[in-house]
Amino acid sequence: MSEEERKFLEVKDLKKSFGSGDTKQDVLRGLDFTVAKGEFCVLLGPSGSGKSTLLNILGGIDNADAGEIYINGDRLSRMDEKGLTQYRRKHLGYVFQSYNLIPNLNVKENIETGAYLSDKPLDIDELLKILGLYEHRHKLPNQLSGGQQQRVSIGRAIVKNPDILLCDEPTGALDYTTSKEILRLIEEVNAKYGNTIIMVTHNEAIKLMADHVIKLRDGKIRHDDINTTKITADELEW
Amino acid sequence: MQNETVHFGKRPGNPLNRRVWKDLVSDWKRYLMIFLMLVVTIGFVSGMYVANNSMMTAIAENVGKLHQEDGHFELSKKADSALIAALESGEKADVVSIFRERAYNEAEEKVVEAVNEAVEEKVREQVRNAITENVTAAVDEQLAGYAAVGMEVSDEQRQSATEDALDTAMAENYDKAVEEALKTAYESDDYKTALSDAMKEAKDEIDKEINEKYDDLAERYELNKDFAPVPVKIHELFYKEQTELIPTDASYSGKIRIFNERTEIDMYDILEGRAPENENEIIIDRMHADNVKLKVGDRIKAGNTEFTITGLAAFVDYSTLYEKNTDTMFDALTFDVAMVTPAGFDRLSAPLHAGYAFEYVNKPADVIEEKVLSDNFLKVLITQTAVTENETEIKDYVPAYANHAMTFAVNDMGSDEAMGGVLLYILVAVLAFIFAVTASAKLEKESSVIGTLRASGYTKGELVRYYMSGPLLVVIFASIVGNILGYTVFKNVVTAMYYNSYSLPTYETLWTPEAFIRTTVVPLILMLVINFIVIIRMLRLSPLKFLRHDLKKAKRKKAVRLPKWKFFARFRMRVFLQNIPNYIMVFVGVCFVMLLLSMAVGMPETLKYYQGSMTDMMFAEEQVILLTTDDEDGNTVETSTEGAERFSMESLIRKSDTLDEEITIYGITDGSEYIKLDKSADGVYISDAFANKYKVAKGDTITLSAKYENKEYKWKVFDIYDYSASLAVFMPNDMFNTEFGRKAGAFSGYMSDAHISDIDEKYIAKTITDEDMLKIAAQLDHSMGSYMVYFQYVCVIAAAIILYLLTKIIIEKNERSISMVKILGYSSGEIASLYLVTTALVVFVTEFAAIFIGYEAMNAIWGVLLMKLGGYFAFVIPFSGFVKEFVLVFAAYMIITVIDFIRIRRIPKVLALKNVE
Repeated sequence: MSEEERKFLEVKDLKKSFGSGDTKQDVLRGLDFTVAKGEFCVLLGPSGSGKSTLLNILGGIDNADAGEIYINGDRLSRMDEKGLTQYRRKHLGYVFQSYNLIPNLNVKENIETGAYLSDKPLDIDELLKILGLYEHRHKLPNQLSGGQQQRVSIGRAIVKNPDILLCDEPTGALDYTTSKEILRLIEEVNAKYGNTIIMVTHNEAIKLMADHVIKLRDGKIRHDDINTTKITADELEW
Repeated sequence: MQNETVHFGKRPGNPLNRRVWKDLVSDWKRYLMIFLMLVVTIGFVSGMYVANNSMMTAIAENVGKLHQEDGHFELSKKADSALIAALESGEKADVVSIFRERAYNEAEEKVVEAVNEAVEEKVREQVRNAITENVTAAVDEQLAGYAAVGMEVSDEQRQSATEDALDTAMAENYDKAVEEALKTAYESDDYKTALSDAMKEAKDEIDKEINEKYDDLAERYELNKDFAPVPVKIHELFYKEQTELIPTDASYSGKIRIFNERTEIDMYDILEGRAPENENEIIIDRMHADNVKLKVGDRIKAGNTEFTITGLAAFVDYSTLYEKNTDTMFDALTFDVAMVTPAGFDRLSAPLHAGYAFEYVNKPADVIEEKVLSDNFLKVLITQTAVTENETEIKDYVPAYANHAMTFAVNDMGSDEAMGGVLLYILVAVLAFIFAVTASAKLEKESSVIGTLRASGYTKGELVRYYMSGPLLVVIFASIVGNILGYTVFKNVVTAMYYNSYSLPTYETLWTPEAFIRTTVVPLILMLVINFIVIIRMLRLSPLKFLRHDLKKAKRKKAVRLPKWKFFARFRMRVFLQNIPNYIMVFVGVCFVMLLLSMAVGMPETLKYYQGSMTDMMFAEEQVILLTTDDEDGNTVETSTEGAERFSMESLIRKSDTLDEEITIYGITDGSEYIKLDKSADGVYISDAFANKYKVAKGDTITLSAKYENKEYKWKVFDIYDYSASLAVFMPNDMFNTEFGRKAGAFSGYMSDAHISDIDEKYIAKTITDEDMLKIAAQLDHSMGSYMVYFQYVCVIAAAIILYLLTKIIIEKNERSISMVKILGYSSGEIASLYLVTTALVVFVTEFAAIFIGYEAMNAIWGVLLMKLGGYFAFVIPFSGFVKEFVLVFAAYMIITVIDFIRIRRIPKVLALKNVE
């Protein structure tokens, strides 16, 4: 792996606070880390540790107060709003805890909302099969279970074949079995399409299937470990 | 580390585009309502524009095609060829020289007569003296001869002989001698000198008098003002007026103005039938025929003369049937215009009205130029008739631009168009705001989806385009359908409306770009702009804010603390506070509807009120205006009718840029029972119609002008007299006679509550009764009354649609909470009382405010409307009218409430549990 690939994502002294004066609250207090290309990176930490804020800043939908982020050599802080939108459009995929599907578009159309953003999207039918949604492709979101809806939202994010897939607690609203299915899917996507995945979770068990685990507490990195003994999603238990 | 087996597909089209259609389908009720409202408004307004444009073009073309006059005048008698020639020359008569010349001529005759008389008297005396001297001498000589022969002659004999001889001599020689002497005298230089001296003296006297009066003459005939000759071509436009009777309808009686055959000027467009060909045939006005249900082939009577109608026509100079140009309103119900052949004209026994139409030789370029020409021609007319030998008077002068019969229809169409345009824009603005509120509600509802799409890289532009597409498509479809309906159905509705009021010619439907721009392009842009602003403002927020449902620009306010009301009251207050923007829209929408309703309810109510109280409004039920106050024997025309009072009347003009309005001036006898004036009044009284229309207050000074003279009258207003039937000025009769330069004790006629029947008709110029005043209301009622009822329904529907759209938003916003309280165990009735009662209260309160605002706005519009019309009557809505307005809108709301109740019942309980972020 080249130096560039190893430092595919580089974060330097990232700081963020909310409020001002007496009510000022430092959420991120100077983070430094790198993520390699194609890596499955998990951001762990308790509520309020700043992991979601970090993910939002990485995703270009929130601003840092200080510090720099380089993605594949591009410096995020240099980008204006339009540049950030184009950056998200070309390079990022987003998956949220809530699925945020468009209620009056069917499964395939919801995925197409992602495909439309890419000049070279993945083959949608093939993706639907991988997602296990091919038979359901004509259904509307309200006809699907929570797990199925989250698959659609992953499909929507992945279909444009983004460089980085950002997942914010994707299993947070799902039961054990469904969560595992989703994790399996993410694992599969990572293996098949080779996207860099950054997942925010508070589920400690998930770190076992990650390549890279960053633990946050009180806005600081407490651990930054490369997992050399990763197991499959199937093998996870919690 | 991408796997080699990855397959790529093609980039699909924007799925959001497909979603636009799905949105339209899934929310079809809302869009259908908006669509219908737009279709009807765009359709009606574009129909109005198309109809107006087509018709006004036809009218404008007819001005040339049918040789419309540039103006007309009426004289008290037929003009001789000299007067016609003088008028056509367009030169002002040199009034001063002609008067001087005439005075000189008159003086010359008198001077010659006087000098001759003096000369003759002197000559006669001289001749008599000479003859007497000669005869006396001859008699003396003869008697001296007798004395010489001794004959005694007594003094008596001498006397007698002398007298006899003198008689004989006088009889034989006097006349001849006088004649000869006169001849000599007239040829003498002395005579000529005497004559010229006398003439000089007389002329000096005349010059002195004319010089003294010059200022007065110069002012009256505007001799010193700029003047350019106005050559014109004059055409006879003789007519006779008679009572119109329909043999098959005994109850009908109207007035018909029958013109002699028209061949050169003011031609006509025959809409049905043909022109008259013999003395028994007549063509009459199409509009009037429709109103009184006359058809081609029917018979009518003009006085006692019967005619067969061969055609129904639109005369180019009578597109609106104004009997007199100073009438407040036209009258197509009881006034008719007709034309017969010359032979037919001779059959009519009524007196001839010497009407003349004129055309400028050099046509004016615009109205301003036309006004100058018309003012100048009036001077020509005044001066030339003033110098006629046979005392011709001007009875009427109306230039084309000021002729209501020719301009009213066009102006009315113009103002209808303007009004339609304004209503369209208000409605479009209301709809655009409904769209905007809907869009903002939708953005709020889809907050997380928008956040996700923005986070995924959708640009603001893409989302703006998407959220604007739905409303845009609705507007485009509505525009297309509206325009199609405008050119077909609504155009016919509008033309039917106009044909129902005016005598309009046939027309061809014209493509009207202005209609398209005004009804389609402008509303489209208006909608787009308002929507764009609302949507772009919201989409400016960061994706994160959307993901967090944090869409309020301002920092989240703390909950308003409410007093310790009961739970339901507080809940309702919360619903109210949460929906303030929607309730503001409810307010605006209801105000808009109330404005329309004020017109729809107020107009017929005003007419009804006016018709109902007209008799009470008139100060006396009958006013008889006399042609002359002296009968043939020189005695004053009297009446023994109980309560009859003498009064004087004169018409003056209140000049303004928009309208020269006729004001009636009354001279009232002291101690009148009908008009009670304060004797010590320092100034005049004006009727409150006058005061209201022109906003004149006590103490102000009014300036009125004589009609055909350049003379101004300025009076201070002492008080406002409670009289709303006409624009009038009241003053004591003595003051009246002084002001108008009449003899003391002069008067114009009698007013009385009882019918005056003992005055010979030949002395009566006209009788004014309440029926004359009611004509206005009757015509207005006929022209607009029936449409106003439809208009009321339209208003109710508009109110219902606006309320439907807004309450829908309020309920949609609260769907989840409603679902939640359902789960908690609240019944649908209780939920309805929480959510619907709040809206009901808002609508209830809003209605009161809106009724007031709508009424005030309509009052203002009414004032502007009447500024263009002659006369005045106040806009009146009785209490029952307000109640009607209130009930109509509330009824619309009740229907919507039922729909809302059903909506609330249909909200599923599971909604609250589903997919809550």
